Amino acid sequence: MLRPMDSTAPHILVVDDDREIRDLLGKFLEKQSFRVTSARDAREARKLWPLGRYHLVVLDLMMPGESGLDLARWLRSQSEVPIVMLTAMGEETDRIVGLELGADDYVAKPFNPRELLARIRAVLRRATADSSTDPGREPPAKVLRFAGWVLEPTRRRLLNPEGAEVPLTGGEYELLMVLVERPNRVLTRDMLMDLLRGRQAGPFDRAIDVAVSRLRRKLEDDGRNPQVIKTVRGGGYVLSATVERG
Amino acid sequence: MFRWLRWIWPRSLAGRTATVLLLGLVVVQVAGLTIHALDRVDLQRLQQARDISQRAFTLWRTLMQTQPDRRPAMLDEFELPPGLRAALDDEPAARPNYPPAPPPLMRLFRVEAVMSGPPRMRPREYRVSGGSRPGVMHLSLRFADGKWLNLRVELPPPRLWHSDTFLISFLLMTVAAAGLTLWAVRRMMRPVRDLAAAADRLGRDVNAPPMPEGGPAEVATAAHAFNTMAERIRRYVADRTQMLAAIGHDLKTPITRLKLRAEFLDDDEQRRKMLADLDEMEAMIVSTLAFARDDSAAEPSVPVDLAALCRTVLDEASDAATPEIAELITYAGPEHLTVSARPVALKRALANLVGNAVAYGGAAQLTLTPPAARLLRIAVADDGPGVPEGELENVFQPFRRLETSRNRETGGTGLGLPIARNIFRAHGGDVVLRNRREGGLEALATLPV
Repeated sequence: MLRPMDSTAPHILVVDDDREIRDLLGKFLEKQSFRVTSARDAREARKLWPLGRYHLVVLDLMMPGESGLDLARWLRSQSEVPIVMLTAMGEETDRIVGLELGADDYVAKPFNPRELLARIRAVLRRATADSSTDPGREPPAKVLRFAGWVLEPTRRRLLNPEGAEVPLTGGEYELLMVLVERPNRVLTRDMLMDLLRGRQAGPFDRAIDVAVSRLRRKLEDDGRNPQVIKTVRGGGYVLSATVERG
Repeated sequence: MFRWLRWIWPRSLAGRTATVLLLGLVVVQVAGLTIHALDRVDLQRLQQARDISQRAFTLWRTLMQTQPDRRPAMLDEFELPPGLRAALDDEPAARPNYPPAPPPLMRLFRVEAVMSGPPRMRPREYRVSGGSRPGVMHLSLRFADGKWLNLRVELPPPRLWHSDTFLISFLLMTVAAAGLTLWAVRRMMRPVRDLAAAADRLGRDVNAPPMPEGGPAEVATAAHAFNTMAERIRRYVADRTQMLAAIGHDLKTPITRLKLRAEFLDDDEQRRKMLADLDEMEAMIVSTLAFARDDSAAEPSVPVDLAALCRTVLDEASDAATPEIAELITYAGPEHLTVSARPVALKRALANLVGNAVAYGGAAQLTLTPPAARLLRIAVADDGPGVPEGELENVFQPFRRLETSRNRETGGTGLGLPIARNIFRAHGGDVVLRNRREGGLEALATLPV
């Protein structure tokens, strides 16, 4: 069901087998001035795909018939369209497979609509930012290595040089991810807040300095003489390390 | 009355069986020994009596054939067996006023045989009488010259234990039989101990391997029954888990719908409250599912920085708390401590302990103590009112909540502590609660490394 609206608004394809959720989500996103098309299963989504130019797909992983994972794989073979997955809580493996397939983010059901909205906006912002700076979007990395440390985005975990997992809070993870994706680039507090707001639900403004000091402690980075996350005079941080993607 | 019995009556089945068998063995041995000894005494008496009477007649015949004046010298040279004394006198030692000789002794010594010899060997006269003590007999025989040979006969006391080696071998036999009994009983009772161990394992882990169904028929039957029971329990647990998972899964869709619908409410206050209710519902479902599925068992153990894990849990708690309470959420311990654990499960367990401390105690002071004797300790203390002593263990029961917690509308499902304990126990540790002397409650968790 196509709704003609402001044609410059981002167009989102919602794929979910529950009619109520489909309709409510459509109405909710339209209220946030998105254009929305919805499909009840993978078959319908494939039919709708060539009919429009979509900026983002919201995809339920648990669907009868062809699974959301198969559809995600098919979408990836068609285009670089950003995908936000809706996963069931506890289905860790599905989430990891989805992220490895190239989904950009995920929200666990039952999700808070505002959180989904924040994720959608962040993914869209990243996609436009990337496409404006880079000609081809870099595929998401499975592992990121820096200064002996290993960050695994699909599992959202950090391993220290000895291979032991170092647990991070959601905020710390997002901050580290932003820094590691932009090594040796100075990021001001404003830039960090802007990059993080979409990803991290909740108040983060006051917490950037706190999060950096917590991160340094976990990275065994001496706060008085930091080597990995350096403070830049004038208010900003930079990840001072070579990052290998693999 | 039989209080002393309690001292020797063992508690174990093997001990009791062995005791009964050994008591039986002792009774049989004592009876056998007694019969043997009595038999032996009879035989011994007969033999001694024969010996004495033969020697006595030999003495008589020898003295008869000797010149009367040489008789005392001959008597001195004669070797007499024990129990027989002889003397040459003018008067008979057996007097009519003495009690009569006991007939059994007379029979034993075959006194009448004195008169059955050839006529020239017979004494001119003989007298028999009892002695001063029972068991003593006097026999007086008159020579032709009028002198008397006085014989005093007394059976020596019977010697029950003829040889020392007999006693030693008897003892050895008893000890060997006792040892064999103990060994056999222990061996026969082993399946009972195995059964107890298997039941214990099943209590800890419902997926413990089944018992071997071998051995004697009764043991095999018991093992088979046990395995069947374990299988039923497993199926029951699986069914329950499946049911809870299905309920939890089916509730996700309506909760998602409600959350979306809430977004269309115009009243901001109502929307906020509705979303908070829905979040609480979701949290309950998540913890019920976590408890039912016990996913900690499925997660692999990996090396993890426990100090960072503790800090993460505390940081998340203080991010969610008001600034005043966040001040009271503290960490004490090493900067880094790598252990092998299941990070997701352990984080949940610690988050439950810290969450309780913050919700009911308004503070959370976590202390991580590095391993001593291969056991590390995590203490989470708060400043709250504590828990009544009698409830300290009960609050680990699923869905058990204290009245105070219900009244204060702090939320929660009554599953936080049971889940935390399940997780620590799955790691080989445990968690207990205690009231601090200085006030407040403390959760003490242990983890083996």
